[in-house]
Amino acid sequence: MSFELPQEVEETRKRARNFALREFTKELIEHFDETEEYPNEIRKKVFDAGFITIENPWNMLVTMEEFCRVDPGIGLSTLASVFGSEILLLYGTDEQKEKYLYPTLKGEKISAVAVTEPGAGSDVAGISSRIEKSEKGWILNGHKMFITNGTVADHYYLLARSAPPPSKEKRHHGLTLAIVERKWNGVNPVKLKGKLGMRATDTAEITFENVLVPNENIVGEKGKGFYIIMTFFNISRVYVAAQSVGTAQGILDLLLEYLAEKPASFREMEYVQFALAEISTLIEAARNITYKAAAKVFSFNPDPALTSMAKYYAAEVANQVANIAFKIVGMEASGSKLEKLYRDAKITEIWEGTSEIEKLVISRMILKKIQEVK
Amino acid sequence: MASEEQKLLVSMIEQFAKEELENVAQKIEKEGISKDIRKRLAELGLLAATLPQSENGAGIDRSSFSLVLMTIAKYSASVAYFIYLQNTLVNEILFKAQKRKEEIAKIASGESTGTLVHDINFNFPLEIYIKGHELYGANNFVILPDADFHLVLARSEKTSYLVMANPVKIEKKKPLGFRAISFGFASYKQTIEEDRIILKDADNLLKSHIFDTSDQIAAIAIGMSESALEKAIEYSKERKAFESYLYEFQPISAVLSDMKGRIEEMKKALMLSEDTKDRILLKLNALELARSASRLALQIYGGYGYLEDLGIERYYRDSMYLTMLSSNYIKDIEIISKNIISPDAFKI
Repeated sequence: MSFELPQEVEETRKRARNFALREFTKELIEHFDETEEYPNEIRKKVFDAGFITIENPWNMLVTMEEFCRVDPGIGLSTLASVFGSEILLLYGTDEQKEKYLYPTLKGEKISAVAVTEPGAGSDVAGISSRIEKSEKGWILNGHKMFITNGTVADHYYLLARSAPPPSKEKRHHGLTLAIVERKWNGVNPVKLKGKLGMRATDTAEITFENVLVPNENIVGEKGKGFYIIMTFFNISRVYVAAQSVGTAQGILDLLLEYLAEKPASFREMEYVQFALAEISTLIEAARNITYKAAAKVFSFNPDPALTSMAKYYAAEVANQVANIAFKIVGMEASGSKLEKLYRDAKITEIWEGTSEIEKLVISRMILKKIQEVK
Repeated sequence: MASEEQKLLVSMIEQFAKEELENVAQKIEKEGISKDIRKRLAELGLLAATLPQSENGAGIDRSSFSLVLMTIAKYSASVAYFIYLQNTLVNEILFKAQKRKEEIAKIASGESTGTLVHDINFNFPLEIYIKGHELYGANNFVILPDADFHLVLARSEKTSYLVMANPVKIEKKKPLGFRAISFGFASYKQTIEEDRIILKDADNLLKSHIFDTSDQIAAIAIGMSESALEKAIEYSKERKAFESYLYEFQPISAVLSDMKGRIEEMKKALMLSEDTKDRILLKLNALELARSASRLALQIYGGYGYLEDLGIERYYRDSMYLTMLSSNYIKDIEIISKNIISPDAFKI
């Protein structure tokens, strides 16, 4: 058993680190944080440098980690420009792949996943957008919220209800996944501004009014969209865990830079040393659980409980590490990058399933084991 | 326990805050604390609250003032901190030194503003010096750099002084929290006349004053915690997931209740702190409480809390910013350790 990643992946990590340090300059980080613009030019450079690839998902994972280590806002925005691609990779038809997936993977298009609604965030089965069969195809009406890439994406992988749930217990039945293009009639995305952190990411509220969706844009079997989305979340949550690990590592980097400038007597304080030890241990543990969950997902043997553990724990660590670092740096963190990472870190406990949802997934999986014992 | 007189005071302040701060709290954060608000604070006697009435003050006792700060902080933490800054860090210091009574009066009336530039509970040296009567130097971490005057801690070879000065240059930066109060860089270069020297051996005197008023920071932190929790409970009764209200879920209900209990305990402790050590401990715990309560509120609100519109993310920024402004954990815990364990504690 080895805990080492293959050399190819480690080389990608180095390249990603160097790229982020070179391209995510202090000025650009501040610019995108201030203006909340989408970093499209950097996204193009990320593609040109070959960081977005599905051939070896480990490369994307370590790139996510290294990019977020330097700046989570820009890092995630650029890599998430292919958000949801795994959905088509696993469930798309050849035509869908040709039209949407391959151009996205070449950087010619941007994709987004549209699941969350104003009244249904973590409760995916509670969504109320409706997609109904018509003569010419399907008609979509609904309202989506907090959609990453919402105003810049060319197309969305959207979940809507196509049939009423057969019973209260089976609310997740009757949901269908469709590819919806942003520029179609009836699609109205509005950018949401004023986020606490991750301000380089594009976030939108989108309304869909009598949008005609062609038959060929339905993904997978109709009514089975919930399962497709859950499969996707099993994958995407691993990347959010990597985002958290990268953010936490970035905070440690900043703390070390801070300590390097302080007199040796400050570093020699055991209180400071213990804090460093705690931070380092937390990050190492978060990284290991993330890699273990990723190893399962990437070998087509996902363990939803482990994925949720990784996402929940790594998010917890990113936020905890920020708090410990602030205790040491104090007032000097004001206006610094540490302050920004503190703001950026919080979202990891909310998006792609809140920490509470992750705990529910974990506990349900564990409780199944009790039933097995019985 | 609060006395009848204190309850009356809190009720009056609460009415003011509800009517004049609550609905404009977000606007205050964007545009700053206007002259009109300053005037209203002055009319209520809050900018010189703890000074005797004979000195333009309101003559409010210590614990009553803490209750005032806690109440205001529930509606606008920035305004509460502004009151603390004007009353405690500027006017009380001037009053104790029996200097510059005209400035005390101007602040008390809301006509002008002051700030205190120091490094007492920070890790960095101030790098502002005084040689003869020449003041020079700069600092990157000045609260309210655009105040009408600055009380500046300056060091000479032998001692330290607190002097009244005006910066030659300021640069404002966007702070993490309390965005109604400016923050940034200030540099100084001026001759200090004798009547502008407020304190000699200022390091020790300031240290004693700042640490001793830690309960006022605790009061602001408790007010913020209470407000964040109230909003979280309110939202848990509006928002549904899985066809149930959030508060109906056991873990959510439990964590909200637990937070309520912690806040009530802290409010009691606020009225009981007797000495500097107690007050520092109270401050550390109250700041931790504020960070936890704000994190909880943000978590309950989910994505909506992450957007500034609802004012929930503000608690998250403000609670950490208040921690940065008011507490250096290492210095705080050192004082406490030496007091409650042994003078040799926290040595190695």
